Amino acid sequence: MQGLSSIGSQLVDLCSALLLLTCFAIVAQRRLSACVDLFALQSAFLVITAALVAYLTGNQHIYIAAALTGVIKVIIIPRVLKKVIDRLNVKRELVMYINVPAGLLICGGLVMLAFFIAQPIIPFGFLLTRDALAIALAIVLIGLFTMIARQKAVTQLVGFLVLENGLFLGATAATYGMPLIVELGVFFDVLVATLIAGIYTNRLQDAFDSVDTDRLTVLKE
Amino acid sequence: MLNLLWILLGGYVAGILLPLCLPRRPEAQRFTAGVSAIVAAGAGIILGFLGLTSSEPITGSLASTIPLLTLAIRLDSLAAFFVFTISVVGLAASIYAIGYLRHSAGSASIAALGALFNAYLLAMTFVVLADNGFFFLLAWELMSLLSYVLVVTEHENMEVRYAGLFYLIMTHIGTAFIAVAFLIFFQSTGSFSFETFRQPGQPLSEDMRTLVFLMALVGFGTKAGIVPLHVWLPYAHPVAPSHVSAVMSGVMIKTAIYGLIRVYFDFFGGQFPWWWGFTVLFLGTTSALLGVMYALMEHDLKKLLAFHSVENIGIILLGIGAGMIFQSYGLRELAALGLLAGLYHTINHAMFKALLFLGAGSLLYATHTRNMEEYGGLLRRMPWTGFFFLIGAVSISALPPTNGFVSEWLVFQSLFLSFQIPTVFLKLMLPIAAAVLALTGVLALTCFAKAFGISFLAQPRSPHARHAEEVPVPLCIGMGLLATFCIALGIAPMVVVPLLDRVVAPLAGISIEGKVLAMDGWALAPVNVEFSSLCTPALALLLVMLSLLGLGLAVVFGGRLKTRHYKTWGCGLNLSPRMEYTATAFVQPIKRVFSTIYQPTVKLETEFLDESRYFAKRRRFEFHIEPIFEKYLYDPLVAFFSTLADRLKVIQAGSLHLYLTYIFVALIALLLLAV
Repeated sequence: MQGLSSIGSQLVDLCSALLLLTCFAIVAQRRLSACVDLFALQSAFLVITAALVAYLTGNQHIYIAAALTGVIKVIIIPRVLKKVIDRLNVKRELVMYINVPAGLLICGGLVMLAFFIAQPIIPFGFLLTRDALAIALAIVLIGLFTMIARQKAVTQLVGFLVLENGLFLGATAATYGMPLIVELGVFFDVLVATLIAGIYTNRLQDAFDSVDTDRLTVLKE
Repeated sequence: MLNLLWILLGGYVAGILLPLCLPRRPEAQRFTAGVSAIVAAGAGIILGFLGLTSSEPITGSLASTIPLLTLAIRLDSLAAFFVFTISVVGLAASIYAIGYLRHSAGSASIAALGALFNAYLLAMTFVVLADNGFFFLLAWELMSLLSYVLVVTEHENMEVRYAGLFYLIMTHIGTAFIAVAFLIFFQSTGSFSFETFRQPGQPLSEDMRTLVFLMALVGFGTKAGIVPLHVWLPYAHPVAPSHVSAVMSGVMIKTAIYGLIRVYFDFFGGQFPWWWGFTVLFLGTTSALLGVMYALMEHDLKKLLAFHSVENIGIILLGIGAGMIFQSYGLRELAALGLLAGLYHTINHAMFKALLFLGAGSLLYATHTRNMEEYGGLLRRMPWTGFFFLIGAVSISALPPTNGFVSEWLVFQSLFLSFQIPTVFLKLMLPIAAAVLALTGVLALTCFAKAFGISFLAQPRSPHARHAEEVPVPLCIGMGLLATFCIALGIAPMVVVPLLDRVVAPLAGISIEGKVLAMDGWALAPVNVEFSSLCTPALALLLVMLSLLGLGLAVVFGGRLKTRHYKTWGCGLNLSPRMEYTATAFVQPIKRVFSTIYQPTVKLETEFLDESRYFAKRRRFEFHIEPIFEKYLYDPLVAFFSTLADRLKVIQAGSLHLYLTYIFVALIALLLLAV
């Protein structure tokens, strides 16, 4: 059992690390559709992580959460986003507040920060997934950073979804999953948020001929 | 007793749900809401009465899933007194509403109005029953929000929306202060239960106690309408539907009095320095005087009544303040007397103010205007309304044999007993407060001579008044119920005082029933029979006999009591309503005398005939009173915050990225702090 959980723990860590890696890839990516693909990939890793945790801990309901993640985040949401991108006809994320190398450096800093913050908490965590907590925190911070660094509404939405992935990983890693009802609620929320944001992006395009959220400053009083 | 509580709860809940569930038939909705409220309020009256007479407080509690919130209730004598008062006024207002809402509901849905009114009464009852700080705040907030929604019933009107907003802001500022007071208790006791507030593990430090005193004073004072926090009353009370104004002015502002007594006498056990009492006394004196003075200048009947609420809250605070001063010097009997006087005036004011608001509502119902200058001659057209209004007016003017007289007399007694205080300063201040109270009484009398005389006597001044008709029966029943209470509370203080004594005794630590009642309970004699005593039944009897005597003498010496119809001599001109004494003219001398306080601006425009400057074609007279507190206190405050907001607008860039950055930075800062 000890041996198994040791291997399992390493597998969970590996998957978490892959999640983090896709985060960096998203930050480095300039093309919008590639960003969405990377998000789908990240969600796929998340599904594997959740399934692993479910298998190792024997918590059946995490399987359901994993399956839902697979359906919603790997299949539905990327499709919705692709449709939005097609309609907007913007292939490249042209404008960034922070260029790619600087962004990657900042993300590296954020990962270090996350590990520093999680350091005192990790000893209290469960043996299996303790390092995943720090990674989850790093993903949350990077997701938030993506929202700030990019100017287009679509990438901000991707940032939000990455952030949510980080939260889900954190919840699975730190507490072996939230109660099922909460997870269902969160999934529903994310789905609805994506749909609303998709519509909102289209409206933005109609109103400003651009999805540049910087244009919203003219709405200021 | 618990059964009664369930009936009360069930009645109000039925009153909330049934009108909303019924199909859109206003008739049925009005009746179900009214009948449910009547059943619930009836249960409340019995519950309050039993709570007053029972020796042990009734408690009950229900744990909730929200942390720190326990739905605990406690019906001790103080709570029972307020439950009784709320229920009586609620009952009268509910009966009244059945008839009142027939025409004047405006665009609001009858169902919503009925449901909200039931919820409002329920929330108010739970404010006084709550035995947990969190629960209290919840009920308090619910009560405030519901009253706001009821105030803005006629929200199409700009004036109503403004009044509502003003009220909403003021009441939330008040709630914030109360919340701080409770949080200070929570900080030292670790629990929101009132029981632990009473007996904290470690007593609050002196500074913290002072802070709680001030927070509670401002917080509850806002709701009560203490000067200078009274400014919302004259806006909010007039624009609400009349039965709502009656409940707001009659009992909602009294929940603040409940809160003050609960905190000062119950939580602090009556242990406080003398200046607390003096502060309350001073604010009470100021409120009483300024309230009545502003009321005098008002010609909008409901606004006038709203200002009188400020006055009467002042009188209640005079009693309570005097009680607090005596308490801090250990003069327990006198403290009990002051408190008793304050509570007596509380229930009295609830009765006659609610009665007057219902009366004003009846006038509004019949004439569709609140402006007194457009009334006149209504007594002949609306005799019942006039009669009930007269009883209310006599009560609020503190004339025997009605209830206002007894409680003000008791307040005077407690103020005059200040010679027992060792400090010279207070020995002087209390009689001064009594003198101000006397002045207030006179001005109130003037004010109601004006209100009643201008509205009900002489000839109609407008077509509105000329076509007025007596109001429907439910309105008369509602007013009649309260009028009966006004008379009963005035004639039978020997029944009321022992009941009030049961409220006061646990708070002041001494029972004074035996001391106050003299002559086998037929007279009130707070000190001793030689110094001063009052036998109200005898007084009432005397009044009746004197009237009969006068009538008899008139018959014997004055000749026939026959009505002769003859034209009034009008100096050779035809008499018209335009020649009547107006409300403005009536108060003109007082305005002159107190012009320092009123700061009036008078505008007189004369248009002359072309032929000669000796004949005026038309004269226009206008006068305004400077709203001192709004101009010198509130306007600068609003200006200050507007400037502050302008400065802070820099961070409101409108950029989504910037906002996200704020969140990001805050998140990282918090995470780093947590490490």
